[in-house]
Amino acid sequence: MSSAAETKSELPGQQEKGERFAWTFPLALLLPATVLMLVLYAWPFVASIYRSFLTTEEGLTLANYQKAYELYFRDVLFTLEVAILSTAIAAVLSIAISTYVRLANNRISRYVGFLYRLPIFIPFVVVGQMMRTFLAPHGLLNVFLAQVGLVDLNAPLQLFNIYGLVLSFVWKQAPFMTLIILGGFQMIDDAYIEAARSVGANIYHIIVKVLVPMSRATIAVAVILAFTSTVGTFTLPFMLIGGKVPTTVTVDIAHRVTYFGDYGVANALGTLSYLMVLVTAIYYLRYSVRKGIYEA
Amino acid sequence: MNIYKYGTLLVTAIILSVLALACQPVAVQQTVVETVVVKETVEVEKVVEVPAEEEVELVYMTAGDVNMLALAQNLLAATFKEDVNPNVNLRSIHTGPGEAGSRLIFEKLMADKEAGREVGDVDVAMVHQQFMTWAMEQDDLLLKYAPNLDTFQYVTAADAKNALGADVDGYVMPMFHSQTAIAYNSDIVTDPPESYDELVTWVEENPGMFGYNGIKGGMSGVSFTVGWLYWKTGNYDKYAAGPFDEAEIETWTPALEDMKKFNENVTFTAGNVGTLDSLNRGEIAMGPVWVDMFYTFMQEGKLDPKIKLKLIDPGMPGQPMYFVIPANAPHPEEAEQFVEYVTSPKIQGEVVIDRYNWYPGIDGSFVADSAPPEAFERLFQDIPPETLAERGKSFPLADYFTAMLEAYERVVIGGGN
Repeated sequence: MSSAAETKSELPGQQEKGERFAWTFPLALLLPATVLMLVLYAWPFVASIYRSFLTTEEGLTLANYQKAYELYFRDVLFTLEVAILSTAIAAVLSIAISTYVRLANNRISRYVGFLYRLPIFIPFVVVGQMMRTFLAPHGLLNVFLAQVGLVDLNAPLQLFNIYGLVLSFVWKQAPFMTLIILGGFQMIDDAYIEAARSVGANIYHIIVKVLVPMSRATIAVAVILAFTSTVGTFTLPFMLIGGKVPTTVTVDIAHRVTYFGDYGVANALGTLSYLMVLVTAIYYLRYSVRKGIYEA
Repeated sequence: MNIYKYGTLLVTAIILSVLALACQPVAVQQTVVETVVVKETVEVEKVVEVPAEEEVELVYMTAGDVNMLALAQNLLAATFKEDVNPNVNLRSIHTGPGEAGSRLIFEKLMADKEAGREVGDVDVAMVHQQFMTWAMEQDDLLLKYAPNLDTFQYVTAADAKNALGADVDGYVMPMFHSQTAIAYNSDIVTDPPESYDELVTWVEENPGMFGYNGIKGGMSGVSFTVGWLYWKTGNYDKYAAGPFDEAEIETWTPALEDMKKFNENVTFTAGNVGTLDSLNRGEIAMGPVWVDMFYTFMQEGKLDPKIKLKLIDPGMPGQPMYFVIPANAPHPEEAEQFVEYVTSPKIQGEVVIDRYNWYPGIDGSFVADSAPPEAFERLFQDIPPETLAERGKSFPLADYFTAMLEAYERVVIGGGN
């Protein structure tokens, strides 16, 4: 940017003007994006935290958090449980798929490399609708298992609960994580893998000693993004487990707003979900900042 | 090479999503084609001659399920233009199902008000009862338009005067009434319960065969819960008419503790549609549903014909959907025309009863001539008019309503601990 400005300011007398231009022009370019971020993201974010301490009667208070704790604390734990469990399973699965696509080079692996990406394009609400009929007590999965003789339809697998929810999240998040992790794996030079093989490393060693350590940062990013979006998803839990006990925080937020018009407790619950993802967000920011410094 | 590869991928993904959408019944209605507004190119001289014939874009905001949008876009927009006013193009905006949809409309009108806009964007809106309790607290949000309409004389229902404790006389015209009831599979349940009392016994004897969607998964479950409290307390009149007495809340605890015990033998379903789906797949044999959804599913062949309805004693709540006209509506006259048209006996009979299986918004006796007899029979076969009159209850006052939901959360769900 500055070099372009310098070439423009070759004429004598325009030197000063050019310098000012070089200084203000990048800021002017940044302005629309910054304003957009401040107005549409930063302001609502700060406002929602502020309003979580407000009630109509008492002004600034912790009453909303008190109520959130009394009524929804179990749901907070449940949300955390679902997010951790599904992210962990999806991480293992996506590392396995990535390893296979990275190391095997045949027709099937290329096919898998294409196929795994499809769920990425399917929105959560469609996944919800799909899983609702697939996982139902007399749904496709149970009927299939009953035909094979594994399940009795009078006592079918009950999947409209944490199991079904985790399964659906894994189905949706694992491909997305694979996309990121496979990218990391493909940047690793074949020489490392061949070297490991030549000293007798088996596939387990290659994953644990070569691929995963060398892509640690990439895997971390995938885990963080998947975890964050799992905590924040409303449609899938609402459609799958809706009014059950326990349910996720997002369903509680919707319930609070819809039936009570109570944005105070809804914001308090929202702030609790910020806290849930905060730990991972800090890591992500630190990582991307450090990376920015060293790679510049 | 890569571009080709990703192109194929994208196309495949689009095809798959379209297939996925096409396979789900609700979304079929969602792909409603927007009404295309064809503006005539009027010559300049003509405009000067007859400025009154200028086209009006009437903005109609509706809460409720997608069938409300389909009704307005595919049917009413065209017939209103044809039957009443050729200059009006109805533009329908759908804000979403349940109270959340009404909430969005309220927030839109409040935003207009707070910004001091004297002429807003919304001409007419379709809202739930709960909306009225919010809107009537603001004294200048809505027009008192109903007495201007010819069809106002046909409105006899009590809930056209009072909505959950708010005095709405003159501000609303009910488009239809909806009711919750217990649906049961007559193959499995040969002797369906007549009351909440008998239902509890039945559920104890048949664990897992009764299903509902709790209170966070849709209004049919909420309605069942409110009916439970009406039954246990016997205080329906007080809760429906008021005034609000905070001391009542304490008295619900034993009733809700019983419900907690009752829930141990209950299957929880995934939403209003979830209950109907579970019934149809034979996962449960009984559950609370909306009557109109039930008949529409039945007509579309999405429900086992063995499934029937029962409105149990002492009754379950139902609710109307209202037309309201905002105080800052840009075209109040056309909006009134539109409401008058939809509440006319013709549309009430042909559309509300025959096509949508709703109970009419105006008094049924004025509609009998315009609805086909078989539609009338279908609507009243399981729940005769006398039963409906006796056991069709209102939702409680807004304050009682939210207190009931929160009491359920505290006692039945048990909150954080």
